[in-house]
Amino acid sequence: MRARVLLSLLAVALVAAPFVVSGYLVSVLIVALYFAYVGQAWNIMMGFAGQLSLGHALYVGLGAYTAAALFVQSGVPPWLGLIAAIIVAMAFAAAIGFLAFRFGISGVYFALLTIAFAEFTRIGFDHFGWVGASAGLFLPVSQRSGSDLLALRGTPTMFYYVILALAAGAFALSRWLLTSRIGFYWMAIREDQDAAQALGIDTFRYKLAAVVVSAAMTSIAGVFFAFYYNNLFPEQIFSIGRSIEIILGPIIGGLGTLFGPVLGAFVLQLLAEALREGVSALGLEIPGLTQVFYGVCLLVVVMFLPNGVWPPIARRLRL
Amino acid sequence: MASRTGISRRAVVSGGVGLAAAAGIARFNIVRAQSGPLKVGVILPRSGVQAFIGQSCQRGADIAPEVLKELGFKVQVALMNADTETNVDVARSRAERLINEGAHVIVGAFDSGQTLGIAQVTEQKGVPFVVNIAAAPQVTEQGYKTVFRIFPTSGDLIRNGLAGFKDVFAATGKTPKTAVFLHINDTFGQANKAAIDKLFPGADMPFKIVETIAYDPAARDLSVEIAKAKATGAELAMVVTRLNDAILMIREMIKQRWEPMGIMSPGSPGMYEEQFFATLGKYSEYPISVVPWYNPKTELSRIVEAAFKRKFPNDRLVGHALNVGFTFEAILVAADAAQRAGSTRPEALIEALRKTNIEKRMMIGGPIVFDEKGQNKNVQSAVLQNRDGGPKVVLPKEAAETAPVFPMPPWSQRG
Repeated sequence: MRARVLLSLLAVALVAAPFVVSGYLVSVLIVALYFAYVGQAWNIMMGFAGQLSLGHALYVGLGAYTAAALFVQSGVPPWLGLIAAIIVAMAFAAAIGFLAFRFGISGVYFALLTIAFAEFTRIGFDHFGWVGASAGLFLPVSQRSGSDLLALRGTPTMFYYVILALAAGAFALSRWLLTSRIGFYWMAIREDQDAAQALGIDTFRYKLAAVVVSAAMTSIAGVFFAFYYNNLFPEQIFSIGRSIEIILGPIIGGLGTLFGPVLGAFVLQLLAEALREGVSALGLEIPGLTQVFYGVCLLVVVMFLPNGVWPPIARRLRL
Repeated sequence: MASRTGISRRAVVSGGVGLAAAAGIARFNIVRAQSGPLKVGVILPRSGVQAFIGQSCQRGADIAPEVLKELGFKVQVALMNADTETNVDVARSRAERLINEGAHVIVGAFDSGQTLGIAQVTEQKGVPFVVNIAAAPQVTEQGYKTVFRIFPTSGDLIRNGLAGFKDVFAATGKTPKTAVFLHINDTFGQANKAAIDKLFPGADMPFKIVETIAYDPAARDLSVEIAKAKATGAELAMVVTRLNDAILMIREMIKQRWEPMGIMSPGSPGMYEEQFFATLGKYSEYPISVVPWYNPKTELSRIVEAAFKRKFPNDRLVGHALNVGFTFEAILVAADAAQRAGSTRPEALIEALRKTNIEKRMMIGGPIVFDEKGQNKNVQSAVLQNRDGGPKVVLPKEAAETAPVFPMPPWSQRG
């Protein structure tokens, strides 16, 4: 009951936000929701199934480039491009997963494999002329007073509601997965793969499913990224830094929990923004403060809240 | 402790904090001062991967108010600085924030991706955006009405760069017949390569490119690339670099005893930067870069140089010239527009910016005049050669500090 009330309040606040807060805060909320969404997607793979990916920017980049290139080169609408993006990301994820799980690569070696794929895809895109190579791919920008949801062209408020819907959808999907048979299989694999296998769970199949579902969801974030920012560069979108940004939210919020990725993303983005404002209000200028803040957050969470920020809050609220 | 009204002190304090926060985040709190100083939002990547260059650009902004005062500008300039953290998400939200806080004009942002992120915000808010440095043609090709760029496009850079090569050959009477083209494979390198591929055939160059070799920006070793370049037997090394790879490249050339007639860049950073000289010492001498640069002989350059020395006594302007020069000029353009408009209203500033015509410049080139797309029409490059521990202008003659040396002396005969 408490959880429902809390969710309802959060939902009302988020839906009403663009009518209440400034454009600046809307842009900050878009970034927070974006990281809540991709964090949720990553959480399925790591938090639920225990497969550590440190190269999730790969799927953001693949989704972004697939939909954007189809839109720029062939005029394919973004929602159709989205389907292509999901298929491409799923194919890549299936290939990585198959290679890793077929040959028994796990733990840090699996994490290294995900980094390797993200890196060589970045290098590949640096030379892929059809999508602008490392000179970048630019989506045409036109001046509009209104919003065209079908073409994903419009005001930041439109993008805010799109990412809010995506984050809500990811939350609902995660909740459903967590309470379904596949969710229990994933958790069994996460806790003890050998025991899960001994109980008859097809670990290869379900681990692969986790990777593919997570990649498909992440690629949708890529499509959003492409149409919101309107320019893509391989060195930015596939970078290891982007992958780390994706995983910070769930780690700080609470791995394997539903609220963790959301809470982590909001804590990081809003507190970082508040910190910048506070420092600026004091008349100080400290470049790089946010990165230091992220580092300190991570350190504090690892030392004092190893399960993340959300579990103790949930206990306190008796959720 | 609750008072008789039932409201505790803690509740009052919390409420006050809440109200203060709400005032900061409320939808209608955009400050739109019509008088007072010109508030210039300077957005640069001062942390993250591009921190060094962002901080270098910031120096140009830091000295601008003082220099403008010295130049007799009646408009007072107040800087509102923001850091993009080399991140397009942050660049966008910082632009929103600065405009929300009342910035009349935005200046930045060194990198094309971040610049385009900011441009979407300024266009939507109708606030003018003067781009100091960003070479992607799309910055002024997307149809934005509020974007003005003083920096050349990658096409202009290469066009001017190739012309500079020919000027060097004409001035020294020595012309190579073949060249190998080595370039970093990042956004900037690819944009330059694309421009070279497009412009070289029609540029009537006296040499032919026998091979093009690309390398990864994260490369820690260029031995294979240099061996390959040496094996072509090309007389000239035409390079598009950044700093670290430029240092690696020279070291590898010395190691492999490759002695081309010259190492020439048609418009990239790296070889004229302070760190290049500090790291390579005597081997940093003689490479040539054809880049937008400042004219050390103009009056404005002298004023800027003096202001720079006062503000940053431990640094040389020559080590930051391109970044400082274009950032300072971007603020000069904004202040000039505000002075002519007699207002800080965005519409008036944009109208005035369209009519910009600044003749007294720090950077080499004609007057700053924008075309209908907001691109500066009069962009020129200088030929720089590394001499006596720093980059010296060797061409055009009116700005030259010394004469060009080509071919360069062999590595074994350096001081």
